[in-house]
Amino acid sequence: MAGTLALTKAELTRLFHNKRYFIFTVAFPVVLYLLIGRQVKASAYGVAFGAYYMISMATFGAFSGALNGNAQRISQEKKEGWIRQLRLTPLPANAYVITKVLVSAATTVPSIVIVLLLGRFYGNVHLPGWEWPAIALTVWFGSTIFAALAVAVGYRFPPEQVQPVTLIVYFFFAILGGLWFPLTGFLGNIGKFTPTYEAVKIGTDVIQGGSVPAGLAVGLVAWLGIFALLATVAVRSTAETV
Amino acid sequence: MSQYETSYGASGSDGSGSEYDYPGRTATTLTAGYGGSHGGTPVVTFENVSKHYGRLRAVDGLSLDLRAGETVALLGPNGAGKSTSLDMLLALRKPTTGRIRMFGDDPYHAVKSGRVGAMLQSGGLMPEVTVLDLVELVTKLHPNPEPVQTTLKRAGITQFAGQRVDRLSGGQTQRVRFALAICGKSELIVLDEPTAAMDVETRRLFWNSMKEEVAAGRTLLFATHYLEEADQAADRILVINRGRLLADGTPAEIKARAGAKRISFRLDNVDEPFLLGLPGLVNLEVRHDVVQIQSSDSDATLYALLDAGYRPREIEVTSLGLEQAFLAITAEDDLANGHSSGETN
Repeated sequence: MAGTLALTKAELTRLFHNKRYFIFTVAFPVVLYLLIGRQVKASAYGVAFGAYYMISMATFGAFSGALNGNAQRISQEKKEGWIRQLRLTPLPANAYVITKVLVSAATTVPSIVIVLLLGRFYGNVHLPGWEWPAIALTVWFGSTIFAALAVAVGYRFPPEQVQPVTLIVYFFFAILGGLWFPLTGFLGNIGKFTPTYEAVKIGTDVIQGGSVPAGLAVGLVAWLGIFALLATVAVRSTAETV
Repeated sequence: MSQYETSYGASGSDGSGSEYDYPGRTATTLTAGYGGSHGGTPVVTFENVSKHYGRLRAVDGLSLDLRAGETVALLGPNGAGKSTSLDMLLALRKPTTGRIRMFGDDPYHAVKSGRVGAMLQSGGLMPEVTVLDLVELVTKLHPNPEPVQTTLKRAGITQFAGQRVDRLSGGQTQRVRFALAICGKSELIVLDEPTAAMDVETRRLFWNSMKEEVAAGRTLLFATHYLEEADQAADRILVINRGRLLADGTPAEIKARAGAKRISFRLDNVDEPFLLGLPGLVNLEVRHDVVQIQSSDSDATLYALLDAGYRPREIEVTSLGLEQAFLAITAEDDLANGHSSGETN
């Protein structure tokens, strides 16, 4: 456990020296919210557009942070043999992956906090006190599960293929999940099954109905199961080549 | 680059002429007598270990023991199965068949107990951090580590400890990897071709610090294809080729095994059956009137020849180094398995 913490600390230090990470997770959603968030008249998912867009931008920043940097790093560290080197230390076999997920869980926090603050003070979103932590927690959970998907992609693909693969995954979940704009019709119906949609919709349902919709919450946990399974298979099947 | 840079492929010599194999030479004859006085639980045991990749047998029925305090070289040409063997020892790969024990435990738990420190060719470093950060991190992962400053000093990396890991030269990187192998104060140190990326000076420094580790009572296992290194650094050499153990003994024994001396002379009317019966003879080659004998006891061989009434001309007796011994051992193995182009009359 002490070893896992030491590694987590080292990973966090590395991360805060990384400018790309801040552009993806904080700068993008903030700029988009500043540009589009204050459309007073529009509404989406049954709530004011400013509230919907606050939740979707927080999810967008957090999920892209969990996905983009991590998959690339893992793939690179696998190729360069750092994962192999760690396997030669007393650090438990699964500690590397756990560390990556822990770090992701921490790195999704700034974008969520910043975008929610922006929604409150720039977008004029006013909510009962308990709804803020409920929304923050949902967005945090819904985006951190992408760290598991990043582990799967990072282990499965070499660094030069990770970029295109993560981009496809990124656009798929961002667009179908209705993070950039709400979807309707056929695509909207398919999109209802994505975790990104579920995270945002739980947030807007909380605002609209004052309670957490159980069906969507179960869906989100199911996605964690799917991503964790993909990650486990990817890690296990590459055990002798790492 | 240095005197080490010799290639040791198939022997390719002696394409014509006759060649006789000395019967009854197997790895076990040497293994049997080795290390009887050491006693105690072996640090490492391989029991008939094989690793197959499809039809390729990377490691093929390898059995060996390492005892505490030994410095052992795993010597073989590229592709002999050295890295695969070390990978299996370090729980990075699983044997297809057979069993490996380290400190009486399975490899995974032995590695996780921190009793082994390793440096592999394929091992990498965490980027974007300083050398000091990295050494501190890996030190923290070990239960009973060396003080960080001691590790830095021993590995000779104190002067660039503040530099970023991804901005080091090849030789510097190799020294940092070495630091990671010794920082845990582990009882067994495993090194896979440790000096591959080092210049001559770094290599010398490296072996000096390695000697300190051994003097502190550690067991050292290193893979190399540099004979010079195996000869100078190891007190025991395991020769492997195509995944199998061919010889196991001290450098002197390995040299003796292939015939420590080469005797050559000219002789008319060669009586090959007689020559084959000479004492100490390990290998015989006859080309017209030129005879070459590898002998484990050149004096006895020559006396017997002269006592029998022969008067050979142009007698030369030369020492065979480890290189020739190694070549002879692997070439003989290749020949026995039909992998050589050499003709036999």
